[in-house]
Amino acid sequence: MTFQEKSLWVMLVGSLVGFGVYFSAVLPGHGASVLPQDVVLFAVAVAMLVAISVAGHVIIAVLDQRTDADERDRSIELAGTRNASYVLATGVFTSLCVALLIPGNFAFTHVLLAFWVLAQLVQIASQLVRYRRDA
Amino acid sequence: MGKAGGEITNSIRALRFAHDEMTQQALADQIGVSRQTVNVMEANKYSPSLEVAFRIARVFDVTLEQVFHYAER
Repeated sequence: MTFQEKSLWVMLVGSLVGFGVYFSAVLPGHGASVLPQDVVLFAVAVAMLVAISVAGHVIIAVLDQRTDADERDRSIELAGTRNASYVLATGVFTSLCVALLIPGNFAFTHVLLAFWVLAQLVQIASQLVRYRRDA
Repeated sequence: MGKAGGEITNSIRALRFAHDEMTQQALADQIGVSRQTVNVMEANKYSPSLEVAFRIARVFDVTLEQVFHYAER
């Protein structure tokens, strides 16, 4: 397993934990608009993501001699980014529809955030699938 | 792995063994890619860029055609 593949696993775990905690805390019983405590929770989620990412990358960088991406890694990353762009474009359109149809800013911001997180997960997952398929 | 109806194969594995059983890691270090990339190239699952292809040919001191082969389907 290359450094890049391990890095993707770290980011996958970090994103699932960070945003999983955020959405499970914020979605139940939410109001029409974003509350200050929602913003605090979001900051905590991002801090968790950063902490997991930094700790994970330090560990795998110590274990791996080679940490730079080669041309195949870049090609796989490009394909993942392309897949994520479809999800993000869909999310932008959907969130605009939500902004027009649902009062308050909670639904709009969280549909947009959810699609952004989903796009990140699709980007990571599609790269991991390619690495595993070639292995 | 080829597109537009053709298939690109290579003799990297045979060339490695002919060169004192060079390891995948040793070849990878010389051509600037990871060992895993050499592995998928040998399995014909990934075709390298022209630059890496030339580096491989140079390592084994052969021509590109002696490393890579293109066959129409």
